[in-house]
Amino acid sequence: MADNALHEAELKLFVDSVRRYFKATTLQEPQITSAFLGTGDIEGHDFNGIVTFSGSHNGHVIVSMPGALLRELLLLQKETDLSESNLLDAVGEIANTLAGNARSVLGADLNISVPVKLHGSSGIRARVRKHPCVITLRWGRQPALVCVDMERRA
Amino acid sequence: MSAATSYVRLMVVDDSNMIRSRISQVVQGGGLGPIHLVGLARNGAEAVRMARATQPELVTMDLTMPEMDGIECIGQLLKMNPRLNILVVSALSDKSTAIAALKRGARGFLAKPFSDDELRMALLEVMEAR
Repeated sequence: MADNALHEAELKLFVDSVRRYFKATTLQEPQITSAFLGTGDIEGHDFNGIVTFSGSHNGHVIVSMPGALLRELLLLQKETDLSESNLLDAVGEIANTLAGNARSVLGADLNISVPVKLHGSSGIRARVRKHPCVITLRWGRQPALVCVDMERRA
Repeated sequence: MSAATSYVRLMVVDDSNMIRSRISQVVQGGGLGPIHLVGLARNGAEAVRMARATQPELVTMDLTMPEMDGIECIGQLLKMNPRLNILVVSALSDKSTAIAALKRGARGFLAKPFSDDELRMALLEVMEAR
């Protein structure tokens, strides 16, 4: 029961954070299409930003987005460099923002790493919990996914 | 304001190219008075080196960065120029982080994500605090 409560709190925290990110940077809120507890490998998109948690919690958040979404996001910000490395930089920064914002709810004892960025849509595998929280969304016509796999340290 | 020129010398410090570029675009888009971008640094260590060469008067500072983080960098930059105006721009949006940055000597704190207007407003407030 307590474990479920943690799932719900995390889901709300990260759903709110994703909404706020798009609203602030693009003035267009995303549509949250689903939020669920993942089982097995989760099919992600081509560009992935991963931030690792330590301190009060242990785990990570993964932001997974297709190149088309990231290109659109950068173009809206008048960015002309749409190279692969810049798309990876963008998805890493989004992961960093969502993870950093979590401290406003989970407290300053939550430490976050600099983002690791990966290109390739290999399945996202839970490392900490059997069933990580998965949020799928659509911004305009583009899909994206946020996977939150974390637990409070005993 | 520089004695020889009428613009404010700005350095942007962030490990994300997207954020460095976005802040540059907003600053160059106007509405802030005369600001001249003198440097874009990718981490605290690069910012310290760049500040020696470019002598900024205003800095936007990320906190979570490789090599040297923002809190350490604020301390080093203020040792070089105690009158430097620093606006922290960070995703670490909890109150204790903001307080720690302000205690370290930053003049303002803007949480990511931010809109263009929020960034302009935060920069204006920091510049007016000079």
